[in-house]
Amino acid sequence: MSKVYIKSVGVVPVGEHWNKSLTDLMVEASLNALKNAGNVKIDRIVVGNMMSGYLNNQEHLGALLASALGMKGTDALKVEAACGSGGMAVHEGYVSVKSGEFENVLVVGVEKMKDTDTSVLTKALAMAESAEFTQVVGASFISLNALLMKMYMNRYNVQEEYLDNFPVIAHKNAVTAPHAQFRKAFTLEDVKRSPYLAEPIRLLSSAPSSDGAAAVVLSSKPSDVEILASEVSTNELILSQRENPLRFEATEKAFKKAVEKSSIDPAKVDFLEIHDAFPIVAALSLEAMGYSEEGKAGYDAAKGKYNFEGDLPILTFGGLKARGHPVGGTGAYQVAEAYMQLSGTAGKNQVQGAKVGITQNVGGVDTTSVVHVMRRVS
Amino acid sequence: MIPIAYWRNRKLYTRLIGSRCKKCGAEYYPPVKVCKKCGSAEIEEKEMPKTGTIVSFTKLTEPPVDFKDYAPVYLAMIRLDNGILVLGQLADAESEEIKIGAKVTATIRKWTEDGQSGIIYYGYKFKII
Repeated sequence: MSKVYIKSVGVVPVGEHWNKSLTDLMVEASLNALKNAGNVKIDRIVVGNMMSGYLNNQEHLGALLASALGMKGTDALKVEAACGSGGMAVHEGYVSVKSGEFENVLVVGVEKMKDTDTSVLTKALAMAESAEFTQVVGASFISLNALLMKMYMNRYNVQEEYLDNFPVIAHKNAVTAPHAQFRKAFTLEDVKRSPYLAEPIRLLSSAPSSDGAAAVVLSSKPSDVEILASEVSTNELILSQRENPLRFEATEKAFKKAVEKSSIDPAKVDFLEIHDAFPIVAALSLEAMGYSEEGKAGYDAAKGKYNFEGDLPILTFGGLKARGHPVGGTGAYQVAEAYMQLSGTAGKNQVQGAKVGITQNVGGVDTTSVVHVMRRVS
Repeated sequence: MIPIAYWRNRKLYTRLIGSRCKKCGAEYYPPVKVCKKCGSAEIEEKEMPKTGTIVSFTKLTEPPVDFKDYAPVYLAMIRLDNGILVLGQLADAESEEIKIGAKVTATIRKWTEDGQSGIIYYGYKFKII
């Protein structure tokens, strides 16, 4: 089987792009990546996206992008795994190259969220969970995470201030990230002063809605960065049907498989891009991957373990919270950022000497988890 | 809300009809087609108990569009007396009364409606005993 390399990446700065359409975002990211790739012939296009049908009246994104890029005739498709769509698209691209069936694959993660009213967007995001049993009772995606965070705080006797260290870390790292939506640091006190959206989740502890697209060109031909493993696992769709909702089983399994397949030592990872949609998701993800003990991730964050200068830098360009969270784009942004770190092109956000990095992108509340392990080719 | 989808599930929504595995006895709400414990597809209907305890709760200030007129929405995870965890809204909830460990009972309330002249959707909510 082929090895899989990242040939190049291209990102659109995350933000509120009132003058750009869903297609504009995808094309801009793709052209950036293709320009950086030099002269390659793309033989497959994979688009990761969650909500274009509901929010933008547009499906069929594979053919749409091939067509918009003047590449009609190319094999092209869209994959969807809620907020994990971008990571899943990279996974699909990885499998395509790994199998030997395709040589160069263009992967694009995209979401155009800002054209839509908040309450409609809230309904669309809730589609990550059950229509028949979760959406019908009025639950939103943020409320499920709020219920989980309160269970966690109660089970482990942790105050929300500890968990709110994650958005503080994210914003600090985003200050120097050119493609981040919010390049502004804030303090724990600022978080505490912001209103609750769904207690205990606050305005400043919740990932924003964003427009954005990130593109990655995968290739069987050697380049700067190799994807050592791309693993996916799933959990029960309905949060209340999990034996232990505080166990991120999908992340646990995807991470374990990825570590085994790549033969890396997880203790020697140089940085970690996690799915910090809300503080509770950051905490439970780190605990599922074994970087923090159960109930301790918030304390570890407070002690500086996950700071940029700490033992294990996370969210090196601001993560979902500050780089922004264009839902179906996020997983592709994470992989693009890992590429920047490992190819030494991360600028002011460079983790010095980074050799191995991991990304973790989830759909739903850890319902689908996609983990990638990448290394610098020396 | 999709009217026909609501109609298909009306028994579940109003009486909390879940399921029970005929082979191993595991119970579920929402109902399942295949037992998550033993893999059997021999499943029967099973009505859930109507009382339980609050395990977690939140006050949602910006609910999804179908529930926009009812903000804020109080949501809770309820551990029913048979051990099954169920997600539902809290009815008549004064925020001071809501706490983890509080006992609740299921009741039938309006969930939402399709505008002024459309269908009114009723279903279970929980109220504090």
